[in-house]
Amino acid sequence: MKFRLPPLDWPLAFATLGLIGIGLATVYSATSVPGAHQGLWAKQFLWFVVALGFAWIIAAVHYRFYDSISWPLYAASLVALVAVFAIGVERLGAKRWIELGPLQFQPSEIAKLATTFVLARFFDHARLDLRKLRWWVPPLFVTLVPFVLVAKEPDLGTASSFPAMLVAMYFWAGMPASQLVLGLSPILNVMLFFLTGSVWWFAGLFVGLLAWARPRVVVLVAMLALNGAVAVALPKLWNHLHDYQKRRIETFLNPEQDPSGSGYQVIQSKIAIGSGGVTGKGYLKGSQKALAYLPMRHTDFIYSVVGEELGLLGSLTVVLLYGIVVFRGYRLASIARDGFASLMAVGITTALFFHIMVNMLMTIGWAPVTGVPLPFLSYGGTALIVNCIQIGLLQNVALRRREY
Amino acid sequence: MPQGLPQRDKDSRFALLAGLAVASFGVVVLGLLRLQVLQHDELARLSDQNRIRLDVIRAPRGAIRDRAGRILADNQPSFDIVFRPAPIESTLRVRATIDREWLRRVTGAIVGDTNDVRRKVQEANRTGQTAVLRRAAPYAVMAAVEESRSDLAGIDVQVAPIRRYPAGPLAAQLLGYAGEINDQELQDRADKGYGLGDLIGKTGVERGYEDMLRGVDGAEFVVVNAMGKRVTTLEEGPPRLPVPGRDVTLTIDLSIQRALEVAMAKIERGAAVVLDPRDGSVLAMVSKPEFDPNEFSRGISFDRWKDLNSNGAFPLLNRATQSAYPPGSTFKVVCMLAGLRAGAVDPDSHMPTACNGGFWFGGRRFGCWEHGGHGSLNLVDALQHSCDVYFYQLGLHLGLDPIQEMAHDLGLGDRTGIDLPAEAKGLVPTSQYYNQHFHTGKWPKGVLLNLGIGQGELLVTPLQLATMTAVVANEGHAVRPHVVQSIQGQGSFKVPKPVEPGVATSPAIWETMHLAMHKVTLPGGTANASRSVPGMNVAGKTGTAQNPHGKDHALFVCFAPLENPTVALAIVAENCGHGSDWAAPVAGSLFRQIFLPDTGNVQERTLHPVVAPVDSAAD
Repeated sequence: MKFRLPPLDWPLAFATLGLIGIGLATVYSATSVPGAHQGLWAKQFLWFVVALGFAWIIAAVHYRFYDSISWPLYAASLVALVAVFAIGVERLGAKRWIELGPLQFQPSEIAKLATTFVLARFFDHARLDLRKLRWWVPPLFVTLVPFVLVAKEPDLGTASSFPAMLVAMYFWAGMPASQLVLGLSPILNVMLFFLTGSVWWFAGLFVGLLAWARPRVVVLVAMLALNGAVAVALPKLWNHLHDYQKRRIETFLNPEQDPSGSGYQVIQSKIAIGSGGVTGKGYLKGSQKALAYLPMRHTDFIYSVVGEELGLLGSLTVVLLYGIVVFRGYRLASIARDGFASLMAVGITTALFFHIMVNMLMTIGWAPVTGVPLPFLSYGGTALIVNCIQIGLLQNVALRRREY
Repeated sequence: MPQGLPQRDKDSRFALLAGLAVASFGVVVLGLLRLQVLQHDELARLSDQNRIRLDVIRAPRGAIRDRAGRILADNQPSFDIVFRPAPIESTLRVRATIDREWLRRVTGAIVGDTNDVRRKVQEANRTGQTAVLRRAAPYAVMAAVEESRSDLAGIDVQVAPIRRYPAGPLAAQLLGYAGEINDQELQDRADKGYGLGDLIGKTGVERGYEDMLRGVDGAEFVVVNAMGKRVTTLEEGPPRLPVPGRDVTLTIDLSIQRALEVAMAKIERGAAVVLDPRDGSVLAMVSKPEFDPNEFSRGISFDRWKDLNSNGAFPLLNRATQSAYPPGSTFKVVCMLAGLRAGAVDPDSHMPTACNGGFWFGGRRFGCWEHGGHGSLNLVDALQHSCDVYFYQLGLHLGLDPIQEMAHDLGLGDRTGIDLPAEAKGLVPTSQYYNQHFHTGKWPKGVLLNLGIGQGELLVTPLQLATMTAVVANEGHAVRPHVVQSIQGQGSFKVPKPVEPGVATSPAIWETMHLAMHKVTLPGGTANASRSVPGMNVAGKTGTAQNPHGKDHALFVCFAPLENPTVALAIVAENCGHGSDWAAPVAGSLFRQIFLPDTGNVQERTLHPVVAPVDSAAD
C-alpha cells in the first residue's frame, strides 16, 4: 500500500509554522537585551511543542464531537468566567486568569471556542430563517453573556472579538449583507459621532443604507427610532460627562495625545518600524535604545521589532503569511463538508483575523492601544496554545472535507 | 453554512469575506509603506537621537474675583528647578542621580535638603514623572543652577504658573490656598487625572471649587538632546493645548472686606461675617489671626508649617465657619421669638419676679450681669437691656422644645450649607441630647435658665449667627449663605435652597422683634456704639459669652438699615470682654466706612442698595 499524506490544508500549515518561526526568532531578538526577560525564547519554544501537541489532538477528534458537547462546554465556560471574579489571579489591574495547581488558564479563551461551537450548532439548523426574531435573537444573547463577562475582567481586546465573530457568522448563515449593516448602524452611528463630532455624517450615510437595504416597514421604523434616539442622546450624554471621562474617551480614540504613556508607546513603535526602512536594520541589530523604549516589545509590540530589524520586506512577509491563514480559513469554510464545520471555520478565522488586525493597526498607530497580543508571534504560552488549537480545528475541517 | 444556501450564494459570500481580508491587510500595508518608506528618513533620525520626551504644559488655574471683578487670586509665572528622570532603560543615568557627588552638588545649587531631594529623585526615577525640586526659585538659585546644569544630569528649569494673592492676607481663610498635591490627595483623586507636582486647592474657595478652578494640563512631545535639553517639538503627535481653569466670581465685596478688616484691626482672635440678607450672599468674611496664602504658593517649609499650626492661634482655621462659640445674650433673640411665636408672651409681658441683680432657683442664685438689678421690665425693654433675670424666667416658662425649634428654624446648630469646605455644625441641645447626657427625663431645670441667656451647651458658628440675623432681618424668609456668585462659562449659576425653611409667623411679631433690636442700639441700649451713621437705624443684639479658658468672648449681631436691611452681620471677638465694649464698636466702624466712605453722604448710599437683588433666592 502506498503511503499517502493526510489531506491537511498545507498552505495553512506552512503559513502557521512560518509565523511561529518568525515569532520565535523575534522573541529571541527582543529579549536578547540584558534584562529581566532574557532567555524567554527557550520557554516559548517549549510552549510551541506543547501547542503543537494540542493542535494534533484537536485535529484528530472528529468535529462532530465538538458539535455534540457545544452546549455543556459553553455552560462550563460561563461558570469559569464567573469564577474568575471570585478566585481569579489579578495582574496589572485585571482578573483574567484562573490557577489550577501549576497550570494557569484564561476562561475567556475557552469561552471564545465554546461560543463558536454553540453559534455554529445553532445556525446549522434545517429551518433556520434569519428574517424571524426567534432565529436571530438567541445568537445575540449567547454572545452577549460571555462578552459582558470578559469585558468586565476587564479584557476589552478579547471581548471585542466576540461581536466580530457573531457578525461574521450571521453573514455566513445567510443574513443579507445589507440587513447586517443596517442592524449594526447604531454602532456605526456612535463611532462616526466620536470620529467626526457630528451626527450629520451618519445621517447621510443612513439614507443611502436604507436605499440599499430596503427593509420592511417594521424594521425601517425600528431602525429610524433607534438611530434617532442615539443621535439625540449622544451629544447630550457627551456634554453631561465629566471632563476626565471625556478625556478617557478621547484618549481611547486618539492615544497619541495621552500624556500618561500609551501615546508614548505608539510613537516609539512608529519610530521603530519607520526607522527599519525597506531592508531593516538587520536581525538582532535593532537599535537597543529604541527597543528598550517599548515595554512590551516581546509581547504586544513584537511587530514593531519585526519592522525595525527586518524592514518592509520582513513586515510584508508577515502580512502575507497572515493573509494566507485568513484566506485559507475562509476557503475551508466554503468547501467544508457540512454546515457546522463551515460555520465553525468562519467563526474561528474571524476571531484570528480580528486579533491580527487590532494588533497590527495598533503598532502602526492606527488603532487604540488595547493590549491584544499578535497571534503566533507574541510571547505567551496560553495565546500560542489557543491559536494552535484554532488552527487544529481548521485542519480538522480540512481533513474531513471529502468524507461521505 | 447551512446546507440550504445555493453554491452561487456561498461563492459570493466567500468572495466578500476574502475581499474584506484583502482590504484590511491592504490598510496595514499602506500604514507600513507610510512609515517605512515615506517617513523613513525622519523616523530614522529620531531613532538615532532617540530622545523624545513628553512634557506637560501646565494649565493656568482659574482666577478668583470679587463681585466687582477685582482680582483676589490669579497666577504668576514661577521658575521651578525640576528633575526629569531618564528613560527607564538608561541605568547609567539612574545610577548617576543617586551618586553622592551629584546629590551634593544639586542640593548645594538649589539650597535644599539632601533627604528631600533624594526622596523626590528616587520617586521620579521609579514613576518616570518629572519632580519639582524647588518651586519658585529666586534669581540667585536659578543662576547657580543654570551655571552647572550642563553637567548635572536630569536637572532642568521649568516655567509653571503659581498662585498669586494680590491682597495678601485679605480674606485668606475664605479664599484658602493652593499648593502642591500630597500623596493622600493623589490617591483619593486618582481617577481625576492628577499627577505628581500638580497644584491643588487645599482650603477655602480654592478647595471647594477645585473642580472648576483647575484646568486641564496639556502635553507635547519634545525632542531633547543628550543632556536632556529641549531641541524642538515633535511633528508627530501635535501638542495637546492646556485648557485653562474657569474664573470664579465671589459675592465678596472687596471694599466691604477691607472695611471689615480695618474695623477688626484691634481684635487679635475672632471672626466676623457680613451677609446680604436679601439673598444670603457673603459680602465679607474675616477670621483673625490671618495668614498670607502667598507663602504656600512658593512652597512652605516644614518648620513654617509647624509654626502656623502649633502656636495656639491657628491662623489657617476659618473661625467664621469652622469654630463654634457659645452665643451668649445674642441667643435672647431666639428666646424672645420663641416666646412670641408660642403666644406665651407679648411685648408688654412682665415676668413674675423683678430683677434685683439675681434670681433664686433650685437653691442656687443665678446672677444678672447688671448687679444692681433692672427692676421689672417688659419684654422689649428686657431685650434692650439684656436682662438675664427676665430671660431665665422666660426660658423656664417656655421649656426646651419651643426654644430649640426656633433656634433650629433660624439655622443654628446645623450646617448652613455654605459653599466652603469643612463647615462646623455647632450644637443646639435637644431633649434627646439631654436624655443621653443625664438620665431620661431627669435632667435639671437649670439647663433651661442657662439656655434662656445663651449659655450652657449651646455652640454656634459666627456664620450661623449672621444667617440667623439675616432671617430676622427678612422677617423669617430663609436664605442660604454662599460665597460664589458666578462661574465663568456656566451661565445659570444657581444658589441651592436654604437648609432650613425659615420662620413663618405674623408680621406683628417681626415688628416687635425689630423694634426691640432697634432699641438695643439706641442710647440706654447695650449697643449704642453700633449706631454710627446719622440717620441710619440699626437693629442688633450684643452678647458676652462666658468662657472657661479665659476672658469672655464679645459678640454682636445686627442688621441695617432697619427699614430696608441690606447688611446683616455677626462679630465674635475671642477673650475680649463685653460685647457692648468690643464687638458693637466694630459694627459702628464698619458702617461708617461702608455708608460714609468719605463725605458722609448718607442719603445717597442708603438709597442705593448695596447689591442688586438676586431672583434665585426667591424660589
